[in-house]
Amino acid sequence: MSLIDRYVYEVGRHLPRKNRSDIQAELRSSLIDALEDRAGQEPTEADVAELLKEFGPPKVVAASYYPEGQYLIGPPLYSLFRLVTGIVLAAVLGAQLLALGIGYFVAQEPIAPLEAVVGLLNSIPAALGMLVIVFVILQWFDVRPETEDEPWDPDSLPEISESETVNRGERIFGITMSIILLVVLGFFPESIGFVTSFGSELFTNPVIAEYIGLITFSLLFGIGLDIYLLWQGRWGTFTRIAKIAANLLSIAILFLLVQGHTAWLVEHGSVGFFATLELLPDNITGGWQVIGMEAFRLGFGVALIITSLETVVMIFRLVRANLKSGFSPETLPSSRV
Amino acid sequence: MKEKELHELHAKLTQELRRGILVLATLSQLKEAKYGYALINNLAERGLDIEQGTLYPLLRRLESQGLLQSEWNVEGSRPRRYYIISPDGSSLLELLSAEWRDLTTVMDGLLDGTSMRGENNESD
Repeated sequence: MSLIDRYVYEVGRHLPRKNRSDIQAELRSSLIDALEDRAGQEPTEADVAELLKEFGPPKVVAASYYPEGQYLIGPPLYSLFRLVTGIVLAAVLGAQLLALGIGYFVAQEPIAPLEAVVGLLNSIPAALGMLVIVFVILQWFDVRPETEDEPWDPDSLPEISESETVNRGERIFGITMSIILLVVLGFFPESIGFVTSFGSELFTNPVIAEYIGLITFSLLFGIGLDIYLLWQGRWGTFTRIAKIAANLLSIAILFLLVQGHTAWLVEHGSVGFFATLELLPDNITGGWQVIGMEAFRLGFGVALIITSLETVVMIFRLVRANLKSGFSPETLPSSRV
Repeated sequence: MKEKELHELHAKLTQELRRGILVLATLSQLKEAKYGYALINNLAERGLDIEQGTLYPLLRRLESQGLLQSEWNVEGSRPRRYYIISPDGSSLLELLSAEWRDLTTVMDGLLDGTSMRGENNESD
């Protein structure tokens, strides 16, 4: 019977302590019943092995006695886990951005984009790890959150309108572009500029270099908001306000950039885009630098106008959405808790 | 669909169907106290094969839900755990049996193409 003993012991190893010995005793008695029924009083090792093979692997047998033990975080806890994960991720991201913002605006520390990204990459897994540990402990003690079946009214379903649905493609494109920009700003800040003539050295745009910290901060804020929007799937009051705040920050940065370029151009004696073109033959390198900086200024100026228009539309939609439904705390994500 | 996939799906859906009736089948046979292996034989004799690895955990679950009662009996050749239906289990068995009979009538109607409520299903 040694094989049966080993089998029963192995099943017990995967069972919770409570009821373990009782289940083991019943299993042993049932296995011997089955064995006697098949092979009589003197079964061979091969008979035992065949019976156990039919019965199934010890882990599987133990799991059928204790199905909830198969989950690291089981179904009763999972929706709570998802909810808390979202809150923790938002909190971690928010805390990082806040720390960056305070560092930049209050302590006047320069923002190191690479360090900010590495900080986020470190803190998110750490926070998630802690969260998983907490939930695994809850699962271990079989804690079940109380779920009340609240009376539900179909009329309470939120209305769907085109302007409320988040365009996923747009958000993903935004995140991708921002990450590319972050990488460029973080790893190759000296490469943002232009070549004034074939074979000449890269002329690093001095104005962008000056505002690199602020640009990084704005990009990180935008990425965080875009990830949150992807998760939510639709625009709400909170996300609209956050987006408007992000846009106002972008407008401020773009304004500073345009102003910075103007100051640089004045300092370098620019007389305007087309007038500079006419002066080109006399001062090839300097002329091309002025043209390049003019082009940058033009680009930032266009971006400034587009962002301003977008912000006006966002403010309009925010006002309209809240006039329609009445400003209520339900539209804020904190009420999901 | 390939034959193998069809076969697998058939096995899976059959298992799901059978899983639904196991509680009713088990409760119906425990008006007298029986131990696990005897119950398996009893069900098999009546045409319902059930794996041991499925039945023993099920008996435990039904007991923890208060539908069965159990005790160890040491009188035979070895100690065996005997299960018998509880008063709550008996009440539930009655309700479930009625459900089952209704369901089989409805399902027979569906499978034979006749309708319970006298509607002419040719007009569908």
